[in-house]
Amino acid sequence: MNNEFKAALLSEDTRFYSEIDAQTLQEKEIRLNVYRNNVVVSLIDALSDIFPVTQALVGDDFFRAMAKQYLLVSPPESPIISEYGHLFSDFIRQFEAAQSLPYLADLAALEYSLLALTHDVEHATLNHEQIAEAFAQVDDPSALYLSLPPTSLLLASPFAIGSLYHAHRNDGDLRLNQVAIQEGEYLLLAKSHLVAQLHVISYQEACFFKQLLQNKKLEEALPDSDEFDLGAVLAKLIEWKLITTISDQPLAAE
Amino acid sequence: MSRFTPKVEDATLASSTFSSLSGISLKPAYYHSILADLPEVGFFEIHAENYLSNGGPARHYLHKIREHYPLTVHGVGLSIGGETPLNIEHLKRVSKLVNELQPVVFSEHLSWSTHHSQFLNDLLPVPYDGPTLDRVCRHIEQVQEYLQRQILLENPSTYFEFTRSNMSETDFIREIAKRTGCGLLLDVNNVEVSCFNNRTNPYDYLNDFPLNAVGQMHLAGHTIDSNTTLPLKIDSHDEPVSQDVWALYQYTCVQLDALGQACPTLIERDGNLPPLTELLAEARYADTIRQTALEGNSYEQRI
Repeated sequence: MNNEFKAALLSEDTRFYSEIDAQTLQEKEIRLNVYRNNVVVSLIDALSDIFPVTQALVGDDFFRAMAKQYLLVSPPESPIISEYGHLFSDFIRQFEAAQSLPYLADLAALEYSLLALTHDVEHATLNHEQIAEAFAQVDDPSALYLSLPPTSLLLASPFAIGSLYHAHRNDGDLRLNQVAIQEGEYLLLAKSHLVAQLHVISYQEACFFKQLLQNKKLEEALPDSDEFDLGAVLAKLIEWKLITTISDQPLAAE
Repeated sequence: MSRFTPKVEDATLASSTFSSLSGISLKPAYYHSILADLPEVGFFEIHAENYLSNGGPARHYLHKIREHYPLTVHGVGLSIGGETPLNIEHLKRVSKLVNELQPVVFSEHLSWSTHHSQFLNDLLPVPYDGPTLDRVCRHIEQVQEYLQRQILLENPSTYFEFTRSNMSETDFIREIAKRTGCGLLLDVNNVEVSCFNNRTNPYDYLNDFPLNAVGQMHLAGHTIDSNTTLPLKIDSHDEPVSQDVWALYQYTCVQLDALGQACPTLIERDGNLPPLTELLAEARYADTIRQTALEGNSYEQRI
C-alpha cells in the first residue's frame, strides 16, 4: 500500500485514493495535499539550505522549480537530510533550462563538497608557536614532513567557481560582476576547527599541497618553479590553521 | 527477535529521575545564547538525524550544552510504521548516538517515512488494523533491542483516516505499549490537530488514551491549512502553543497527576524561530500549569 501512497505523494497517481476515508474526491485530494505539500516543500527547503549560492545565482523561483524536478526523480536515500543532494549537480548538468550557465553544476558540486567536509571529522591543527618550535628544532627544514588534514580536497575547475562562491558570500576580494567566470581555478577545500574553508590557489600551490597530502617531505614536495615562494605558502597554511603535524618522519599510514 | 524486557512501569521509573522542569527544542540559532547565559530550563531535545555526522558545529555545540543540561533524543527517521524492513544502517547510527549521549529519553513516531530505500522526509500515517499492529510492534521491539532501552512512541498528527482501519488510534497505541513494553510520548498538539482534522473530540481522545504509559509530553503550535474548502489544522511547529492546546494540556496534567505520574514537557519549535527567551517563557508557562494542576488535585483531596 505504501508504494501507492508514495506514488500519490510524488505524482498524480490515484491508486491510493481508495484508502482515504472521505466523502468526496475533492476532500481526498485536499487531505492528501497536506502530505504532498509537506514532502515537496520540506525537500525543496532542504536543498535550498544545502545549495544557498546555487540558489542565489539562479534566483528563488528557478531554484525551487529545478529542486522540485530533482526531488521527484531523486528522493532522499537516507533519513539524514543534510546528506541529501549528492546527485543534484549531475541533475543540473543535464537540466535543459540551466544550460545557459555551464558552471552551475560545478558550483553545486562545490557547495555539496564544502558542506560534507564541514560535517566530517575534525583534525587538531598546530598553532603558530608549535609550528615555530618544530622548525626551530631542526637544522634542515626541507627534510621535514608537514601534513594537512587528511580530509582536505584539491579541485581543478574549468570555471572560476571559487571566486564566484566567495563573491556571492561576500567574503572574497571580488564583487560578483568582477569574476571572470571563464577562467579555470585550482581550489583547496580544507577544514580547520568546525567549518570547511575554500581557498582559490595557484597551480604551483595545488601541486605542492598534493605532494604534502601524499606524505612527501618538504624538499620533495616543492614544485620545480621559480615562481613558487615557500615562505609565503607556509605563511598561508599557518594563517589558515591547516597544518596538523610537522615531523622528521613520514606520517604512519592509518 | 526476542522481546525487550522493560515494561510500561519503567516509564515512570525513568520519569522520577527526570527534571521536573519543562524543556525546549535545541536549535543551532540558540547554541551561543544557551552557552553564554545557561538559562534555567529542564532539558533540551534534539532530533537524532541532525546529529549523526562525524563532526561539524552541531555536534560540537551539542556536547558543550550536554555538560550543563539533560537531553532527550527524538528520532524522526526510523520509519517504525514502514511496510519495508527498518534501515539497519540508520538504526545503528542512531544507536551509536544514543549510546554516546545517554539521553533521558529516546522517542520516535507512530508513522512511516521510508519505503524501500526512499526517504520522504515526512511523518506519514499508518492504518490501524491487525497486520499494521504486528509490524509496528516488531519494529519497536527491534529498535528497543538495538538501543538496549525502552523507547517512547509518539501519537501522530494526521490529516485523514484510512478506510481499512478497524481500531481506534488510542486502542492501537494501547495495544502497542502492552505488547512491546514501550512507553508513550503524548503530543497534545497532535491530539488537537488530528481530532480537529478527523472531526472527533480531543477530550474523548485523552480520556481514552493509556496515560499510565506516558513518559513525556510535547506541546507545539499549529497553523490553519490554506485551502478554503475544508478546514484543516497543520502540525507546523512554527507558532507559539495555541490556547486550545494549553487547555488540553491543563486537562491532561490533572489526569496524569491523579495517576501520580510526572511527565516532563517539551515546547517543540522547528520553524519561524522566536528569540530564545520566548520559548523559555512558554516552558515556564507549562511548568505553571503543571504545578497548578498538582495543587488543584491536592486541594480536592483535602476537602
